[in-house]
Amino acid sequence: MATPLPPLRRGTLLLLLAILVGVLASAARADLVISKAERRVDLTSYIVRVLASLKVENVGPDPVSQVLLAFPNIQAKNLAAIRAFGSEGKLKGQSIVLPIEVVQPSGAPPELTFFSALLPKPLEKGKTLHLDVLTVFTHSLQPFPEEITQAEAQLVVYQDSAHYLSPYPVKTQTLTIRLPGGRVESYTRQNAKLVDSELKYGPFQDLPPFSYSPVIVHFENNNPFAVAKEVVREIEISHWGNVQITEHYNIIHGGARLKGEFSRIDYQSRPYVRGVSSFRHLIARLPPRAHSIYYRDEIGNISTSHLWGDSKKTQLEIEPRFPLFGGWQTTFTIGYGLPLQDFVFTSDGKRFLNITFGSPMEEILIEKLIVKVVLPEGSKDIEASVPFPIKQWQEVIFQDDWSVVQVKYSHLDIVGRPVVVLEKPDVIPEHNLYFQVYYRFSNISLLREPMMLITGFFLLFVACIAYMRTDMSISKNSPSYLAKLQWDEVQATVQKIQGIFEQYLAVHDKLEGSLRDLSRTGDTQTCKAARKAADAQFKELSKELKPLLTSLQSSPQSYQIWPKVEDLIAKEREMQEKLMTRHSTVVDSFEKKLRGQDVENRIGQQQQKIAALRQEVESLLEYISEI
Amino acid sequence: MAAKAISSPVPVDWYPTLAVIMVSVGLMFTATFFIYEATSSRRSRSLAKEITTAAVASIFLGFGSLFVLLASGVYV
Repeated sequence: MATPLPPLRRGTLLLLLAILVGVLASAARADLVISKAERRVDLTSYIVRVLASLKVENVGPDPVSQVLLAFPNIQAKNLAAIRAFGSEGKLKGQSIVLPIEVVQPSGAPPELTFFSALLPKPLEKGKTLHLDVLTVFTHSLQPFPEEITQAEAQLVVYQDSAHYLSPYPVKTQTLTIRLPGGRVESYTRQNAKLVDSELKYGPFQDLPPFSYSPVIVHFENNNPFAVAKEVVREIEISHWGNVQITEHYNIIHGGARLKGEFSRIDYQSRPYVRGVSSFRHLIARLPPRAHSIYYRDEIGNISTSHLWGDSKKTQLEIEPRFPLFGGWQTTFTIGYGLPLQDFVFTSDGKRFLNITFGSPMEEILIEKLIVKVVLPEGSKDIEASVPFPIKQWQEVIFQDDWSVVQVKYSHLDIVGRPVVVLEKPDVIPEHNLYFQVYYRFSNISLLREPMMLITGFFLLFVACIAYMRTDMSISKNSPSYLAKLQWDEVQATVQKIQGIFEQYLAVHDKLEGSLRDLSRTGDTQTCKAARKAADAQFKELSKELKPLLTSLQSSPQSYQIWPKVEDLIAKEREMQEKLMTRHSTVVDSFEKKLRGQDVENRIGQQQQKIAALRQEVESLLEYISEI
Repeated sequence: MAAKAISSPVPVDWYPTLAVIMVSVGLMFTATFFIYEATSSRRSRSLAKEITTAAVASIFLGFGSLFVLLASGVYV
């Protein structure tokens, strides 16, 4: 059965072939010959990967330093990544990655796009080079038919050339196409062999440069055609120990559109028959030690997700709110935190973030990826280094140039955090390479946030202090106001008196202490000295007390407190006297070397009185402080 | 010079403990401050003492609330 091709495609192919014939005449490009070309095309997923293993021989007289790779423009526009690995010698040895650049050789047809793989050292005459070229194409599987019902399987068309399109003659070559299994509707049968799910073309011998022989495969592919229209990936660094990643997805099923209506009952009862072309979950491979993972959308948390983790990776399986059929789309956000020490490093005084560029989702094509790196507040000298070209990338540094400012305000920010924005179209899993953002950051800036909090709290306290000190009364002459002022004064004086009494009591304690020392050491001299010092202190304290008492007595507000204070002073005097007499008695008896028993007898009564007095003084003090 | 990993100035595991300790110490100083404000009379109040207690309390409360934020996953 012949596959009905989309008419536009057929036209382009014919045009291409016509041009290629013209090119053949003018070819005579370099002196390279491809002695063997094996191409493997992997069509199992939505993203097409082609691995071409080439054996390149230099048959000319001059050394050659570059190998040209040609692609028709219709393929080249879908080319998402190209990588070449080369090794010289008869046998395949250690491969090195070759740099690749787009070139436009003179006389080349405009319908072809040329890439050049630059060799590290020129290929000498007669030498052989093993070259592996990996190319990844997106949008190369065309759903056909373009609209299917819920129960139908999805069929797609793939077009390529059975001959390796090259500016060099190819001696022998094969093409292997790996299909996902399942039904193969039709394929170009010329020189073809279909074994299980592998379709082989060739081998072809001695083909001139720019040979082209179109092949078309029409087959069933129900693998998830997950296409993200836009992904915004925000990486926020906190030097307090976290790299927070937030990813906003807008995902669409990029395959054949759903025709007719969707029956939930059919889908629920037999999901693999009635809904075979849809997909219901996506898998994200997050870095190890990812924590605080969430999966949500505008409505809120989405509970259909599963998480596994080991020391190598964390695997997150998320299920959108509904199965995705062709043309359906959904938006959601996932976020996770990563430990700082796994991704941020320091070298030569500069710090850098080293993290993968693409999304952690498996087999997803991102049509527009925006990576925003939010650096901590106070970062300077920001530079990004990405291992592949980026279409548009703006690096915006605040303060240096106020005209283009992109900053993000987050928790506890004053001037905002500088943001580096990187944008790349058509991102595939092959772009999940590490990239770096270099910046300077001083650890002192870490203290900004706590300083802010401290200042906040301190201002609160200062406000309290100010409030307690301000006089809010309106009438400064009213009797109640004056009474309050007087009362304040009385309180202040009483507090000072209390302080002096505390000191009195401390001196009492010191005296007692000296007596205890005496009984231990028998040194009467120090004991006497202590008594003298105490005496002096008593006098000094009385001197301090006098003005306070006069002011207290003169105040009209003190009528209530004054008798108590008087009482207190009297008690204190008595106690001082008693203490002194007891002290001298004890010292005397010590000097006369009386027995301990006699001393006890002599001072026993005094001892009791002193204890009683002390208790009274203390209770009076307490009473005063409570007023 | 080889690249060296950067880690947080304080191990992340300590954040909850530090938060509890510093907030409680801070609250104790706050209590001292307010007790002093309420009990001392206007004449006998000493500004230096007030400011010192307020400063100590706000340092502990400031760091304490920072660690509360960090421990609860709000990385500032």
